[in-house]
Amino acid sequence: MSRKLDYPSAADDALVKAAQKADMQAFEELVARHRDKIYARAVSMMRNEEEAADLSQEAWVKAWQRLKQFQGEASFVTWMTRIIINLCLDQLRKQKRLRAESIEQLDEELGGVERQMPVVTPNPTERMERGELRQRIDEALGKLSCEHRTVLILHEFEELEYKEIAKRMQCSIGTVMSRLFYARRKIAALLAGWKREELR
Amino acid sequence: MINHETELRLQAYLDGELSPGEAKAVEDFSNSDADARSLFEELKLTKSLLAENELEVRLPESRGFYWSKIQRQIEREEKGQASEQAETAATSWWLRFLAPAAALVALAVLVVVALRAPKGAEALVALDDSHEIETPLEETSSFSFQSEAAGMTVVWVDSHRE
Repeated sequence: MSRKLDYPSAADDALVKAAQKADMQAFEELVARHRDKIYARAVSMMRNEEEAADLSQEAWVKAWQRLKQFQGEASFVTWMTRIIINLCLDQLRKQKRLRAESIEQLDEELGGVERQMPVVTPNPTERMERGELRQRIDEALGKLSCEHRTVLILHEFEELEYKEIAKRMQCSIGTVMSRLFYARRKIAALLAGWKREELR
Repeated sequence: MINHETELRLQAYLDGELSPGEAKAVEDFSNSDADARSLFEELKLTKSLLAENELEVRLPESRGFYWSKIQRQIEREEKGQASEQAETAATSWWLRFLAPAAALVALAVLVVVALRAPKGAEALVALDDSHEIETPLEETSSFSFQSEAAGMTVVWVDSHRE
C-alpha cells in the first residue's frame, strides 16, 4: 500500500508526481505555493491586476491539463513561469500591444533616443530605502513601452538569453539587443531624474 | 562618442553573450575608452538594481477562493471535453450507419427507375447485358455502376467507413 503524501511538507517534485496521477489535492498545494510568483509575473507584464489574475488562473488550468508533459527538465515553478509568460505574450499580441519589429523602425526614425541620454553616474539610488527603490523601479518599468518592458523582464527577471527572448517575442536578436539597451538606459535616466527632483 | 554597434557589444559583454575572444576585445576597448567605460558602468548598475529589486506582488485573493475558481474551471473544461468526445463518437457512429444505408437506398432507386424506364428512353439506362452493377456485400464501402452502351462507369465510395 502506498504511503499517504503529507502535502504541506512534501517537495514540489513529489507533489507534481502525485498531481500527474490526477491527485488534485497535490496540485492545489502547488498552486498555493507558487500562485503569488505566477500572478506577480503576469502583473509585471500586463500592468493590470484584473487581467493578471485571470491569466494566472488560466495558466494553472493549462498546467493541470498539460501536467503529463512536464518531464522535470526545469523546476516546476520555472515551467509554470514559462506558461504564464506565453499566455501574457499571446494576450499582448491579441491586444496589439506587442509589435514584432515595427518599433525598431520607430526607434531609427527618432534617431536612437537612448543614445542622446547622458550617462548616469554615480548611483542615483544610493541611500534609498529598499521598498522605495522597488517602488521606483516598478514605476519606471511602467513608463516603458510594452516591447521594452517585456524584453527587460524576460532578460533581467527571468534570465533568458537573447536568443530565447527573440524566439518568444518573434523578433530578431538585434531587435532584442536594441530594445534591452534602450530599456536599461531609460530606467537609468528615470531613476536619475527622480533623484535630481529630490535634491531640489 | 562610441557608435551604436559598440554600445550593443558592451551590453552583450555585460550579459555574457560574447565568445571569449570577442569579450576580451570589448574588455580591452572599455578599459581604454572613458565613454565606453562609463556607459558600461551605467548598464552594469542598472542590471544589478533590476535583478535585486523586483517589486513583490501578492495575489489579493484567499487560497480557498482562488483554488475554487481554478477547480471549477478545470471541471468545466473536462466536462466540456467529455461531452464533445461523446458527441463526436455518436456522430461518427451515425455516419458509419447512415452512409452505407443511404448508398443502398440510392442504388435501389436507380435499379427501380432503370427497370421502369420505357424502352428507347435515352435519358435513362435500362439494365441488360451491357450494364453491370457491382455491390460487394462483404465490402460495402464502395459500389460501382458500369454501362458499356453509355460508355460510363460510376463508382460510389463511402469515405466514412473505417
